[in-house]
Order: sequence, then C-alpha cells, then structure tokens
Amino acid sequence: MPAHHQSLTWSKNMSEHHKSQGKRLARRESALKKADPRLKIIAVVVWSFLLALTEQIGAAMAGLAGSVILAMISGLPAKDILKRLLTVNFFILFLWLVLPFSFSYPGEVMARLGPLEITRQGLRLTCLLTIKGNAVALGAIAFFGASSVFELTAAARRLGAPEKMTAIFVLMFRYVQVIGQECARLRLAMKARGFKPSMSMHSYRSYANLIGMILIRSLDRASRIHAAMRCRGYNGRFWLSGEFNFKKIDWALGSLMILLICGVLAFAFV
Amino acid sequence: MPSSESLIALKNIDFSYPDGRRVFSDLNLIFRDGQKAGLAGLNGCGKTTLLSVIMGLLYPQRGEVEIFGRARREEKDFKEIRAQMGFVFQDANDQLFCPTVADDIAFGPLNLGASRKEADLIVEKTLALLRLEGFGPRVTYDLSGGEKKLVSIGTALALNPRLLILDEPTTSLDEKTVARLEQILNDCGLPYIIASHDRSFLARTTHLVWTMTEGRLVEG
Amino acid sequence: MHISEGVLSAPVLICGAALALGGMAKGLRAVGEDDIPKAAVLAAVFFVASLIHVNIGPGSAHLILSGLIGLFLGWAAFPVIFAGLLLQGILFQFGGLTVLGVNTFNMAFPAMALGLLLRKGINSQRKAAAFAAAFICGGGSILLSSLLVALALFLTGREFKFVALEIMLANLPIMIIEGLMCALVVGFLAKVRPALLTGEALGFEKPAKA
Repeated sequence: MPAHHQSLTWSKNMSEHHKSQGKRLARRESALKKADPRLKIIAVVVWSFLLALTEQIGAAMAGLAGSVILAMISGLPAKDILKRLLTVNFFILFLWLVLPFSFSYPGEVMARLGPLEITRQGLRLTCLLTIKGNAVALGAIAFFGASSVFELTAAARRLGAPEKMTAIFVLMFRYVQVIGQECARLRLAMKARGFKPSMSMHSYRSYANLIGMILIRSLDRASRIHAAMRCRGYNGRFWLSGEFNFKKIDWALGSLMILLICGVLAFAFV
Repeated sequence: MPSSESLIALKNIDFSYPDGRRVFSDLNLIFRDGQKAGLAGLNGCGKTTLLSVIMGLLYPQRGEVEIFGRARREEKDFKEIRAQMGFVFQDANDQLFCPTVADDIAFGPLNLGASRKEADLIVEKTLALLRLEGFGPRVTYDLSGGEKKLVSIGTALALNPRLLILDEPTTSLDEKTVARLEQILNDCGLPYIIASHDRSFLARTTHLVWTMTEGRLVEG
Repeated sequence: MHISEGVLSAPVLICGAALALGGMAKGLRAVGEDDIPKAAVLAAVFFVASLIHVNIGPGSAHLILSGLIGLFLGWAAFPVIFAGLLLQGILFQFGGLTVLGVNTFNMAFPAMALGLLLRKGINSQRKAAAFAAAFICGGGSILLSSLLVALALFLTGREFKFVALEIMLANLPIMIIEGLMCALVVGFLAKVRPALLTGEALGFEKPAKA
C-alpha cells in the first residue's frame, strides 16, 4: 500500500494528471508523444514482458539502460519520473526485508547482519528483482506518461480490444473525473463540519456514509447517462475516434525498440 | 398561431412513481409545430418527469402519448423517433459522456448511420452554429460549465431533430452564456419546449408558458 | 496487495492472465449493451473510493472495497477490476502490465465468488446477520485475495515463502478494515436506499429492462 498521506491526495493526483494532459499540447513535443499509440501499446507490452522475464543481471541492466533512453525521449520532467519510481521501490522494499537472508533463500553465506545470514543467491535474486522492477516501471512510465488515456483506448480498440471493454474503460475514466469532484465536495463538507479522520468507529462510519452516498448518486447518474445515450440513438455501438497513421517517427521508434530488445536478448544469451 | 401539425400530444396522463408518489393526474398537453413553449413550475413539481414521459424514458400508468401523429406505447415506438426530439439534459455531465467534444457531437449522427466523414462535417457545422469553432478536440472534462451546456445543445442539434426539448437549461449559467443560449435558440429555427423555473428567461424565449401545479398544466 | 513486476515466473503470469481473460469474457457477456453505463459508473465509483485513505494504526491504507464490487457486479467484477487496475497503472504510471492478469484474477475471483454467495445474506432481516454477511464479504475477499497472492509467489519459487508471509501479515489489518467498511456501506444503503440491495439491482446476470 503506498503510504501517501491521507487528505485529498487522490484529487490532487487527478488534477495533476489533467493539468499535464492539458499542458502537454502546449509543452514541447517529444518523440514518444508524437508516436502512433498503437505502436506504443505494442512496444510497452513487449518491452515489459521481456524485462519481467529476464533472468540475468546483465540483461536486466541492459534493459534498465534501455528504459532510461525511453524515459529521455519521453519528454517527461526527471522529477516526475523519480517520484513515480519511488512508489515502485516502496514495494520492492518488502523484498529486501526477507529475500536476501538464508531463512528465505538458503545458500552460500557471504555476510552476516546480526543473527541474519545474507546468502549470495538471495542477494543476487533481490538485486535482479530490484533492477527488473525499476526497468519495467521506468519503461511504463515513459510510455504512459507520453500518452493520453483516450488515445490509448482508441488505439487498443483498433488493435482488437472488445468494444464493450473499451466503452466501459472510456466511460469509467470520464466519470472518475465527475465522481471524483463530487467526492471532493462531499469531503470538504465533512471537513467543514469538523470531521477529522482517525482510527475510530465514527471515522469509518463517516467514510462508509460518504461512499454509500456516492454510490447512490452515481447509480442515479448511470441511469441518466443511459437515457442520454438512448436519446441519441444508442444501439450498442460506442464510437471512439482517432486517426492513426504510421509516420516517420514511428519507423524510428520501431527501429529503436528492436535495437533495445536485441540488446537485452544479446546480454541474456551471451 | 394557426393550428399546425401537432408534434406532441399527451392525453389524460396519470403518473406515479413506484414508491406511490403521484406526479400527474389527468394531464393534457398539445405541442404544435412552430411553437416555442415554456414549462414552468417549482422545483420538484414534475417538470423533468413530464419531459421523460414525452421522451419515452418513463411510461405513464394511464393515458396516451402521441408523438408525430402516432400513439407511442413501448420502447420500440419511441426508439424510432427519440433522436428526432433533441433532448438536452439538465446536467451536462450526464449528456456529455464521450472523451472529446467532437466525439460527443458525432455520437448521435454515427448511431443514425452517418459515415465518419459526414459526422465530421456535422461536428464542424454544429460547432460553427454554437460559435465554438476549434473546440472539437477539446476534452469534455476541461470545459467550463457554460461551454458544456452549449456543447450539450450541440449534441442535440447534431441529430437534425424536428424539435428541441431542454430541461432547466439556465441552471448555474452566467448571464453571458444565457445570452448566447438565447441567440442559439433563436438561430436554430426549431420549435422547442423549455422546462425552467426562471420565468423571465421563459418570457424572453417562448410564446406560451404552461405552469405545472398539482399534477396538471395551466396555460399562463 | 499488488505484486511488483519482474517477481513472478512466466508460467504463473500466463496462468493468471488466462484465468483473468476467462473471467473477463464471462463478465463482459453478463454486461448487456444497456448495462454498460452502470458497469462503467460503478467502476468509476470504486476507482474514486480506492483513492480514499483511511487511518490504520500509525499509518493509513487506501480502500479496496473488492467485496462491495463483487456484491454489486458479480462476474462483471472481472472487467471492472481489470479496468480499475489498468487505469491505475496508466494514471499513476507505474504500469503493472505484466502482472495485470494475475492481479485481476487475484482480486476479482474472491470478490465475485463471495459477492454472489452472500447477496442473500446481506438482505437478511436480522441486522446482525446482514452485518456479518457483509463483513465476511468485504474481509473475506481481501483474505482470499492475499492467499492467492501468496500462492502465486509460492508457485514462482519456494524462496518467496517469507515474502508471501509478509504480504499476508501486512494485509491482516486491511482485511478487518475492509470487512468493516463493506458492512457499514451495506448498512448505510439498507437504511437510505434498500432497493439497491435487492437481487434486481445487484449484478447483471439478468437481462436489464429497457
């Protein structure tokens, strides 16, 4: 569980996302942003699986280097990227707490930490998982940071994702924003009446009431959205626009990806 | 006004909610082509319910709903004509469910069989009518409340409807947007019904006003 | 609850993805054309709710509410949880693509099973029984999910048994909070809008009325 502080963290995240999506148009374009989202989806999936299944430290290091290159052409500020990576490493910390030690991974003891024995095999595995975890995450950050949710969904639909799934996804994202604002207003109202989150029954009950309230309102909203769709001739199709064409930049990105993948494979097999 | 073709006729409508709350009893209404009508009444008096009955989103327990000269009794009857009555919901966030402005305006025409190219053309024409040129790729979420309302009306106009039905269109709009709304209603040249509790807005935009009291409509 | 990327072995990833795909196919079939807005809006509600952090001891944890998702969505919990996890990965940009299948199955399967099993229970006339059913649904979903996470780790390699144990322990307090939250939300709905908890409003297993 990411240890964000309580408060309205989520709404901040959401508006940050939107600001960055809005600003993105104005901000300097990057190679990764301009690339065809279909290519980006395929690339990030192949890249993630390749790195996740790597068994050699050398190949994982090569993958990490590749992800750093991808991050550099993503045009994302380094500060944002590092912040995201921090969350990922919070999970990896769990591994370091147990995995290097002999009780988890018996083997050749290379050092002692108090009563604990660090084994070569355990340490190697933990290092490998740390490098891989960061490499996969950094690649994903680069690709997803340089794409918009809507563009990715339209591309996924074009790549054959079922229409019902993309419709649910797009509608969900649209109403996460609306419901998120509603939730923020309700929480502000709670705060205005002196609500302070604590570990008490009262606190949990207040949150439950908040969620129940949002559920009721949102189900009412769902039936109004359905009505609005029917009023415009809805017959089961959920249209997603987006023209995709393979441009010069996509040939370049495609070639780079093949190069990076070959690099990782070379380290894995040599 | 000469008596022209009746677009909507409600005859002896009774409606109650499943919880037993009675909204109309023996309600009658005739709306003719070319009319600009207002539907006034206090909040919660049943204006939205009445519009939902007209749109076939709710069914009355008794009485007859006649749209475009034919009785409409079931979903099938309404399905074929619903898009010809451009309905504008009170909350633009319910109406605008697509990622971008262009997607939302194109949704109706595409459902009605327009090609992608034709739909794009309709989007352009609609945005021009709303004086929102260039708004097509904008993400709906980022629009102001007023812009959302105008785009909502655009999604209804894009259906090329025979009339417009607007539910509380002025709620939480500033004066400037209300003025633009009046301009658009004037420019579109369609007959319309506006439900609103804002009497002065109705006075400026409509020729006749029905007031809803105790489950019936009274003219004036 | 999430497993970081690069930990699980290929067979486990593939197995998880296949199971998740099966569940999603069944879930999507349950969602009719006219249910799409409801499924999507529920997905949005649970996504927003999962961004709320509640205090536990000295720290805080975000809500998961998978038990409630199961109650409300049945098999449709699969596509909805998949959508939620995917959006999380894109918005907060840490990906999670390779473990998406495993994570979807681990969360959705217990939620779906307990949700379908306990729908009658939460409608019990006896308040204590309804509370208990909802508590078991909320807490049990987390318990079973963390067992599945542990299983996935164990199948990857024996050396992960302590990591699995760690995750189970970290989830213990969350289990209790989730049980409590599920019961309290169900209690709230029973008071304010009981119709939402009856069979017809829950799930998509029956064709929706137009």
